[in-house]
Amino acid sequence: MKNPNIKLSVDLLLEICALMMQSGANTKRVVDTINRFADALHLESHALISHKSIIMTLIDKKTQNTYTVVTQIPAYHANFWIVSEISVSSWKAIDRNWHYDEIKNRIEQIKNRKSYPFILILFFVSLADAGFANLFGGDYKNMIMAFVATLGGLLTVKLANFYHFNPYIRTYFAAFIASAIAGIGVIYHFGLHPEIALATAVLFLIPGLALVNSFNDFLNNHILNGMVRFVNGFLMVLSIGLGIISTMLLLNLNTL
Amino acid sequence: MDIIYTTILENAFWSGVAALGFGILFNIPKRVIPTVFILGFMAGLIKFYCLQNHCSIVTATFFASLLVGIVSIPFAKSVRKPIVVFSIPAIIPMIPGYFAYKTILGIRNFTFINTIDTDQQNMLNHIFSNGFMTIFILFAITVGVSAPMLLLGRDMTKKLPD
Repeated sequence: MKNPNIKLSVDLLLEICALMMQSGANTKRVVDTINRFADALHLESHALISHKSIIMTLIDKKTQNTYTVVTQIPAYHANFWIVSEISVSSWKAIDRNWHYDEIKNRIEQIKNRKSYPFILILFFVSLADAGFANLFGGDYKNMIMAFVATLGGLLTVKLANFYHFNPYIRTYFAAFIASAIAGIGVIYHFGLHPEIALATAVLFLIPGLALVNSFNDFLNNHILNGMVRFVNGFLMVLSIGLGIISTMLLLNLNTL
Repeated sequence: MDIIYTTILENAFWSGVAALGFGILFNIPKRVIPTVFILGFMAGLIKFYCLQNHCSIVTATFFASLLVGIVSIPFAKSVRKPIVVFSIPAIIPMIPGYFAYKTILGIRNFTFINTIDTDQQNMLNHIFSNGFMTIFILFAITVGVSAPMLLLGRDMTKKLPD
Protein backbone atom coordinates (compact mmCIF):
# COMPACT_ATOMS: atom_id res chain seq x y z
CA MET A 1 0.00 0.00 0.00
CA LYS A 2 2.74 2.38 0.95
CA ASN A 3 4.65 2.08 -2.29
CA PRO A 4 5.37 5.69 -3.17
CA ASN A 5 7.35 5.07 -6.32
CA ILE A 6 7.10 1.92 -8.40
CA LYS A 7 10.37 2.73 -10.13
CA LEU A 8 12.20 2.24 -6.82
CA SER A 9 10.54 -1.15 -6.25
CA VAL A 10 11.50 -2.26 -9.72
CA ASP A 11 15.13 -1.33 -9.15
CA LEU A 12 15.12 -3.16 -5.84
CA LEU A 13 13.71 -6.36 -7.35
CA LEU A 14 16.25 -6.24 -10.14
CA GLU A 15 19.07 -5.82 -7.64
CA ILE A 16 17.86 -8.81 -5.61
CA CYS A 17 17.64 -10.91 -8.74
CA ALA A 18 21.19 -10.04 -9.86
CA LEU A 19 22.53 -10.56 -6.34
CA MET A 20 21.07 -14.06 -6.12
CA MET A 21 22.27 -15.16 -9.56
CA GLN A 22 25.74 -13.85 -8.83
CA SER A 23 25.89 -15.61 -5.44
CA GLY A 24 25.23 -19.04 -6.93
CA ALA A 25 21.51 -19.74 -6.62
CA ASN A 26 19.91 -21.89 -9.30
CA THR A 27 17.47 -20.26 -11.71
CA LYS A 28 14.31 -21.74 -10.20
CA ARG A 29 15.16 -20.41 -6.77
CA VAL A 30 15.77 -16.93 -8.19
CA VAL A 31 12.43 -16.92 -10.00
CA ASP A 32 10.55 -18.15 -6.90
CA THR A 33 12.19 -15.61 -4.62
CA ILE A 34 11.50 -12.73 -6.98
CA ASN A 35 7.85 -13.75 -7.25
CA ARG A 36 7.56 -13.72 -3.46
CA PHE A 37 9.10 -10.27 -3.13
CA ALA A 38 6.93 -8.97 -5.98
CA ASP A 39 3.84 -10.31 -4.19
CA ALA A 40 4.85 -8.49 -1.03
CA LEU A 41 5.21 -5.26 -3.02
CA HIS A 42 1.82 -5.79 -4.78
CA LEU A 43 3.44 -6.31 -8.15
CA GLU A 44 3.29 -9.06 -10.74
CA SER A 45 6.67 -10.08 -12.13
CA HIS A 46 7.72 -11.81 -15.34
CA ALA A 47 11.42 -12.28 -15.85
CA LEU A 48 13.75 -13.59 -18.52
CA ILE A 49 16.93 -14.58 -16.72
CA SER A 50 20.04 -15.40 -18.68
CA HIS A 51 23.57 -15.87 -17.48
CA LYS A 52 24.76 -12.33 -18.10
CA SER A 53 21.64 -10.22 -17.98
CA ILE A 54 18.08 -10.06 -16.70
CA ILE A 55 15.02 -8.65 -18.44
CA MET A 56 12.08 -8.11 -16.14
CA THR A 57 8.60 -6.79 -16.65
CA LEU A 58 6.61 -5.72 -13.61
CA ILE A 59 2.90 -4.97 -13.55
CA ASP A 60 1.38 -2.83 -10.83
CA LYS A 61 -1.62 -4.84 -9.65
CA LYS A 62 -3.66 -1.73 -8.87
CA THR A 63 -3.05 0.59 -11.79
CA GLN A 64 -1.99 -2.06 -14.37
CA ASN A 65 1.00 0.08 -15.32
CA THR A 66 3.90 -1.96 -16.67
CA TYR A 67 7.61 -1.39 -16.33
CA THR A 68 10.30 -3.27 -18.23
CA VAL A 69 13.92 -3.08 -17.16
CA VAL A 70 17.18 -4.75 -18.13
CA THR A 71 20.28 -5.15 -16.03
CA GLN A 72 23.68 -6.81 -16.28
CA ILE A 73 24.77 -9.46 -13.78
CA PRO A 74 28.24 -8.77 -12.36
CA ALA A 75 30.96 -11.44 -12.13
CA TYR A 76 29.88 -14.64 -10.37
CA HIS A 77 31.15 -15.25 -6.86
CA ALA A 78 29.62 -17.98 -4.70
CA ASN A 79 28.21 -16.63 -1.45
CA PHE A 80 25.68 -18.87 0.28
CA TRP A 81 25.09 -16.44 3.09
CA ILE A 82 23.45 -14.04 0.65
CA VAL A 83 21.38 -16.82 -0.98
CA SER A 84 20.23 -18.10 2.39
CA GLU A 85 19.36 -14.73 3.89
CA ILE A 86 17.52 -13.44 0.82
CA SER A 87 15.48 -16.66 0.62
CA VAL A 88 14.58 -16.46 4.29
CA SER A 89 13.65 -12.79 4.12
CA SER A 90 11.48 -13.38 1.04
CA TRP A 91 9.25 -15.57 3.22
CA LYS A 92 9.30 -13.01 6.00
CA ALA A 93 8.33 -10.31 3.50
CA ILE A 94 5.18 -12.24 2.61
CA ASP A 95 4.29 -13.39 6.12
CA ARG A 96 4.80 -10.02 7.78
CA ASN A 97 3.66 -7.81 4.89
CA TRP A 98 6.94 -5.96 4.58
CA HIS A 99 6.92 -2.61 2.80
CA TYR A 100 9.51 -1.25 0.41
CA ASP A 101 11.65 0.36 3.12
CA GLU A 102 11.91 -2.78 5.23
CA ILE A 103 12.95 -4.92 2.27
CA LYS A 104 15.41 -2.29 1.10
CA ASN A 105 17.04 -2.06 4.55
CA ARG A 106 17.30 -5.82 4.86
CA ILE A 107 18.94 -6.14 1.42
CA GLU A 108 21.44 -3.40 2.26
CA GLN A 109 22.33 -5.21 5.50
CA ILE A 110 22.78 -8.52 3.67
CA LYS A 111 24.89 -6.94 0.95
CA ASN A 112 27.28 -5.19 3.29
CA ARG A 113 28.09 -8.14 5.51
CA LYS A 114 31.69 -9.29 5.33
CA SER A 115 32.60 -12.89 4.47
CA TYR A 116 34.98 -15.05 6.46
CA PRO A 117 38.54 -13.68 6.90
CA PHE A 118 40.87 -14.62 4.05
CA ILE A 119 43.30 -16.46 6.34
CA LEU A 120 40.49 -18.77 7.49
CA ILE A 121 39.43 -19.49 3.91
CA LEU A 122 43.07 -20.18 3.04
CA PHE A 123 43.42 -22.70 5.87
CA PHE A 124 40.16 -24.56 5.38
CA VAL A 125 40.31 -24.82 1.59
CA SER A 126 43.89 -26.11 1.79
CA LEU A 127 42.73 -28.62 4.40
CA ALA A 128 39.93 -29.66 2.03
CA ASP A 129 42.44 -30.40 -0.72
CA ALA A 130 44.60 -32.33 1.75
CA GLY A 131 41.44 -34.32 2.48
CA PHE A 132 41.01 -35.02 -1.23
CA ALA A 133 44.60 -36.32 -1.34
CA ASN A 134 43.60 -38.73 1.43
CA LEU A 135 40.45 -39.81 -0.42
CA PHE A 136 42.44 -40.72 -3.53
CA GLY A 137 44.82 -42.88 -1.48
CA GLY A 138 47.69 -40.55 -0.63
CA ASP A 139 49.60 -40.78 2.65
CA TYR A 140 50.20 -37.92 5.09
CA LYS A 141 53.28 -36.62 3.25
CA ASN A 142 51.18 -36.30 0.07
CA MET A 143 48.53 -34.50 2.06
CA ILE A 144 51.07 -31.97 3.32
CA MET A 145 52.23 -31.42 -0.27
CA ALA A 146 48.62 -30.92 -1.45
CA PHE A 147 48.06 -28.48 1.42
CA VAL A 148 51.08 -26.34 0.51
CA ALA A 149 50.31 -26.46 -3.21
CA THR A 150 46.73 -25.31 -2.58
CA LEU A 151 48.00 -22.41 -0.47
CA GLY A 152 50.09 -21.32 -3.47
CA GLY A 153 47.14 -21.72 -5.81
CA LEU A 154 44.76 -19.73 -3.60
CA LEU A 155 47.27 -16.90 -3.23
CA THR A 156 47.58 -16.82 -7.02
CA VAL A 157 43.79 -16.54 -7.31
CA LYS A 158 43.82 -13.66 -4.84
CA LEU A 159 46.59 -11.87 -6.75
CA ALA A 160 44.83 -12.42 -10.10
CA ASN A 161 41.59 -11.04 -8.65
CA PHE A 162 43.48 -7.98 -7.48
CA TYR A 163 44.65 -7.28 -11.03
CA HIS A 164 41.20 -8.14 -12.50
CA PHE A 165 42.34 -11.03 -14.66
CA ASN A 166 39.95 -12.84 -16.97
CA PRO A 167 38.52 -15.76 -14.91
CA TYR A 168 39.83 -18.45 -17.25
CA ILE A 169 43.34 -16.95 -17.30
CA ARG A 170 43.14 -16.70 -13.50
CA THR A 171 42.22 -20.38 -13.21
CA TYR A 172 44.98 -21.32 -15.64
CA PHE A 173 47.65 -19.54 -13.60
CA ALA A 174 46.33 -20.87 -10.29
CA ALA A 175 46.35 -24.44 -11.64
CA PHE A 176 49.84 -23.87 -13.05
CA ILE A 177 51.30 -22.59 -9.75
CA ALA A 178 49.55 -25.22 -7.60
CA SER A 179 50.61 -28.11 -9.80
CA ALA A 180 54.15 -26.72 -10.11
CA ILE A 181 54.51 -26.73 -6.31
CA ALA A 182 53.14 -30.27 -6.13
CA GLY A 183 55.35 -31.21 -9.08
CA ILE A 184 58.45 -30.49 -6.99
CA GLY A 185 57.21 -33.26 -4.69
CA VAL A 186 57.03 -35.60 -7.68
CA ILE A 187 60.62 -34.79 -8.70
CA TYR A 188 62.01 -35.49 -5.21
CA HIS A 189 59.69 -38.49 -4.57
CA PHE A 190 58.11 -36.98 -1.48
CA GLY A 191 55.71 -39.50 0.06
CA LEU A 192 54.23 -42.71 -1.32
CA HIS A 193 52.24 -41.39 -4.32
CA PRO A 194 53.45 -37.85 -5.07
CA GLU A 195 51.42 -37.78 -8.31
CA ILE A 196 48.22 -37.86 -6.19
CA ALA A 197 49.22 -34.56 -4.61
CA LEU A 198 49.72 -33.17 -8.13
CA ALA A 199 46.24 -34.32 -9.15
CA THR A 200 44.38 -33.15 -6.04
CA ALA A 201 46.10 -29.80 -5.46
CA VAL A 202 44.01 -28.27 -8.25
CA LEU A 203 40.66 -29.70 -7.19
CA PHE A 204 39.72 -26.53 -5.29
CA LEU A 205 39.45 -24.83 -8.68
CA ILE A 206 36.91 -27.35 -10.05
CA PRO A 207 33.68 -25.37 -10.63
CA GLY A 208 31.54 -27.76 -8.60
CA LEU A 209 28.82 -25.24 -7.92
CA ALA A 210 28.44 -24.31 -11.61
CA LEU A 211 28.24 -27.99 -12.60
CA VAL A 212 25.69 -28.91 -9.90
CA ASN A 213 23.60 -25.83 -10.68
CA SER A 214 23.74 -26.62 -14.38
CA PHE A 215 22.16 -30.04 -13.87
CA ASN A 216 19.73 -28.55 -11.38
CA ASP A 217 18.64 -26.07 -14.08
CA PHE A 218 18.25 -28.95 -16.55
CA LEU A 219 15.93 -30.73 -14.11
CA ASN A 220 13.84 -27.58 -13.73
CA ASN A 221 13.65 -27.08 -17.50
CA HIS A 222 15.86 -23.98 -17.57
CA ILE A 223 17.81 -25.75 -20.31
CA LEU A 224 19.49 -22.70 -21.77
CA ASN A 225 20.85 -21.47 -18.44
CA GLY A 226 21.92 -25.00 -17.62
CA MET A 227 23.85 -25.21 -20.89
CA VAL A 228 25.59 -21.91 -20.19
CA ARG A 229 26.61 -23.06 -16.73
CA PHE A 230 27.81 -26.40 -18.06
CA VAL A 231 29.93 -24.84 -20.80
CA ASN A 232 31.27 -22.39 -18.24
CA GLY A 233 32.26 -25.26 -15.95
CA PHE A 234 33.76 -27.18 -18.86
CA LEU A 235 35.92 -24.20 -19.86
CA MET A 236 37.12 -23.90 -16.26
CA VAL A 237 38.08 -27.58 -16.25
CA LEU A 238 39.84 -27.03 -19.59
CA SER A 239 41.87 -24.14 -18.12
CA ILE A 240 42.82 -26.30 -15.14
CA GLY A 241 43.89 -29.07 -17.49
CA LEU A 242 45.97 -26.64 -19.54
CA GLY A 243 47.67 -25.38 -16.37
CA ILE A 244 48.63 -28.93 -15.39
CA ILE A 245 49.76 -29.75 -18.91
CA SER A 246 52.05 -26.68 -18.86
CA THR A 247 53.59 -27.85 -15.58
CA MET A 248 54.10 -31.35 -16.89
CA LEU A 249 55.78 -30.05 -20.04
CA LEU A 250 58.03 -27.67 -18.10
CA LEU A 251 59.07 -30.10 -15.36
CA ASN A 252 59.16 -33.00 -17.82
CA LEU A 253 56.77 -35.19 -15.83
CA ASN A 254 54.93 -38.11 -17.36
CA THR A 255 53.35 -39.73 -14.37
CA LEU A 256 49.63 -39.49 -15.03
CA MET B 1 38.30 -56.49 8.47
CA ASP B 2 38.82 -53.85 11.12
CA ILE B 3 41.44 -52.12 8.99
CA ILE B 4 38.89 -51.72 6.18
CA TYR B 5 36.41 -50.00 8.47
CA THR B 6 39.09 -47.73 9.91
CA THR B 7 40.01 -46.69 6.38
CA ILE B 8 36.35 -45.99 5.57
CA LEU B 9 36.01 -43.91 8.72
CA GLU B 10 39.21 -42.00 7.92
CA ASN B 11 38.03 -41.33 4.35
CA ALA B 12 34.62 -40.25 5.62
CA PHE B 13 36.27 -37.86 8.09
CA TRP B 14 38.30 -36.26 5.31
CA SER B 15 35.25 -35.90 3.07
CA GLY B 16 33.62 -34.05 5.96
CA VAL B 17 36.66 -31.77 6.14
CA ALA B 18 36.55 -31.22 2.37
CA ALA B 19 32.84 -30.35 2.56
CA LEU B 20 33.60 -27.90 5.36
CA GLY B 21 36.44 -26.30 3.37
CA PHE B 22 34.17 -25.67 0.40
CA GLY B 23 31.45 -24.44 2.73
CA ILE B 24 33.83 -21.83 4.10
CA LEU B 25 34.81 -20.89 0.54
CA PHE B 26 31.11 -20.42 -0.30
CA ASN B 27 30.60 -18.32 2.84
CA ILE B 28 27.93 -20.44 4.53
CA PRO B 29 26.23 -19.05 7.66
CA LYS B 30 28.08 -19.85 10.90
CA ARG B 31 25.15 -21.84 12.31
CA VAL B 32 25.24 -24.51 9.61
CA ILE B 33 28.99 -25.27 9.85
CA PRO B 34 28.53 -28.39 12.07
CA THR B 35 25.65 -29.53 9.84
CA VAL B 36 27.84 -29.33 6.74
CA PHE B 37 30.56 -31.39 8.39
CA ILE B 38 28.10 -34.06 9.56
CA LEU B 39 26.44 -34.29 6.14
CA GLY B 40 29.82 -34.51 4.37
CA PHE B 41 30.91 -37.20 6.82
CA MET B 42 27.73 -39.25 6.27
CA ALA B 43 27.99 -38.91 2.49
CA GLY B 44 31.60 -40.11 2.62
CA LEU B 45 30.64 -43.02 4.88
CA ILE B 46 27.91 -44.24 2.51
CA LYS B 47 29.98 -43.71 -0.62
CA PHE B 48 33.07 -45.55 0.58
CA TYR B 49 31.00 -48.31 2.17
CA CYS B 50 29.24 -48.90 -1.16
CA LEU B 51 32.55 -48.79 -3.04
CA GLN B 52 33.96 -51.33 -0.59
CA ASN B 53 31.04 -53.61 -1.41
CA HIS B 54 31.72 -53.45 -5.16
CA CYS B 55 29.10 -50.91 -6.17
CA SER B 56 29.95 -48.85 -9.25
CA ILE B 57 31.05 -45.32 -8.38
CA VAL B 58 27.92 -43.84 -10.00
CA THR B 59 25.58 -45.92 -7.82
CA ALA B 60 27.63 -45.23 -4.71
CA THR B 61 27.52 -41.49 -5.40
CA PHE B 62 23.79 -41.65 -6.05
CA PHE B 63 23.07 -43.33 -2.69
CA ALA B 64 25.34 -40.92 -0.85
CA SER B 65 23.67 -37.84 -2.33
CA LEU B 66 20.21 -39.34 -1.82
CA LEU B 67 21.06 -39.65 1.86
CA VAL B 68 22.23 -36.02 1.92
CA GLY B 69 18.95 -34.98 0.30
CA ILE B 70 16.82 -36.91 2.82
CA VAL B 71 18.75 -35.90 5.95
CA SER B 72 18.79 -32.25 4.84
CA ILE B 73 15.03 -31.92 5.27
CA PRO B 74 14.88 -32.32 9.09
CA PHE B 75 18.09 -30.26 9.36
CA ALA B 76 16.51 -27.46 7.34
CA LYS B 77 13.55 -27.46 9.69
CA SER B 78 15.70 -27.18 12.79
CA VAL B 79 18.09 -24.44 11.65
CA ARG B 80 15.53 -22.49 9.54
CA LYS B 81 17.80 -22.13 6.50
CA PRO B 82 17.21 -23.17 2.86
CA ILE B 83 18.35 -26.69 2.04
CA VAL B 84 20.90 -25.76 -0.64
CA VAL B 85 23.02 -23.90 1.89
CA PHE B 86 24.23 -27.11 3.45
CA SER B 87 23.38 -29.78 0.90
CA ILE B 88 25.59 -28.32 -1.86
CA PRO B 89 28.81 -28.00 0.19
CA ALA B 90 28.21 -31.56 1.47
CA ILE B 91 28.11 -33.04 -2.03
CA ILE B 92 30.96 -30.96 -3.46
CA PRO B 93 33.60 -33.57 -2.40
CA MET B 94 31.85 -36.06 -4.66
CA ILE B 95 32.06 -33.82 -7.75
CA PRO B 96 34.01 -35.87 -10.31
CA GLY B 97 36.82 -33.34 -10.67
CA TYR B 98 39.36 -36.13 -10.93
CA PHE B 99 37.49 -37.78 -13.81
CA ALA B 100 36.92 -34.44 -15.51
CA TYR B 101 40.56 -33.64 -15.67
CA LYS B 102 41.60 -37.18 -16.55
CA THR B 103 39.38 -36.63 -19.60
CA ILE B 104 41.34 -33.49 -20.43
CA LEU B 105 44.66 -35.27 -19.90
CA GLY B 106 43.40 -38.04 -22.18
CA ILE B 107 42.65 -35.44 -24.84
CA ARG B 108 46.16 -34.07 -24.39
CA ASN B 109 47.70 -37.52 -24.86
CA PHE B 110 45.50 -38.14 -27.88
CA THR B 111 46.50 -34.89 -29.57
CA PHE B 112 50.10 -34.34 -28.58
CA ILE B 113 51.83 -37.49 -27.52
CA ASN B 114 50.60 -40.70 -29.15
CA THR B 115 50.63 -40.78 -32.91
CA ILE B 116 50.44 -44.57 -33.37
CA ASP B 117 46.98 -45.79 -34.41
CA THR B 118 46.47 -48.55 -31.81
CA ASP B 119 47.59 -46.26 -28.99
CA GLN B 120 45.18 -43.62 -30.17
CA GLN B 121 42.32 -46.12 -30.01
CA ASN B 122 43.20 -46.81 -26.39
CA MET B 123 43.26 -43.09 -25.76
CA LEU B 124 39.78 -42.71 -27.26
CA ASN B 125 38.51 -45.38 -24.87
CA HIS B 126 40.12 -43.49 -22.03
CA ILE B 127 38.58 -40.15 -23.05
CA PHE B 128 35.08 -41.55 -23.51
CA SER B 129 34.98 -43.68 -20.36
CA ASN B 130 36.22 -40.81 -18.19
CA GLY B 131 34.04 -38.22 -19.93
CA PHE B 132 30.82 -40.22 -19.57
CA MET B 133 31.77 -41.12 -16.00
CA THR B 134 31.99 -37.38 -15.25
CA ILE B 135 28.56 -36.67 -16.74
CA PHE B 136 26.84 -39.63 -15.07
CA ILE B 137 28.29 -38.90 -11.65
CA LEU B 138 27.16 -35.28 -11.94
CA PHE B 139 23.69 -36.45 -12.91
CA ALA B 140 23.60 -38.95 -10.02
CA ILE B 141 24.55 -36.20 -7.58
CA THR B 142 21.91 -33.72 -8.72
CA VAL B 143 19.10 -36.25 -9.01
CA GLY B 144 20.02 -37.84 -5.68
CA VAL B 145 20.15 -34.58 -3.79
CA SER B 146 16.98 -33.07 -5.23
CA ALA B 147 14.85 -36.25 -5.45
CA PRO B 148 13.47 -36.10 -1.88
CA MET B 149 12.32 -32.53 -2.38
CA LEU B 150 10.82 -33.29 -5.80
CA LEU B 151 9.05 -36.44 -4.55
CA LEU B 152 7.63 -34.87 -1.42
CA GLY B 153 6.03 -32.17 -3.52
CA ARG B 154 4.92 -28.70 -2.65
CA ASP B 155 2.58 -29.49 0.25
CA MET B 156 5.15 -31.29 2.38
CA THR B 157 7.90 -28.76 1.77
CA LYS B 158 5.78 -25.65 2.07
CA LYS B 159 6.74 -25.19 5.70
CA LEU B 160 10.45 -25.21 4.86
CA PRO B 161 12.20 -21.92 4.22
CA ASP B 162 12.83 -22.72 0.56
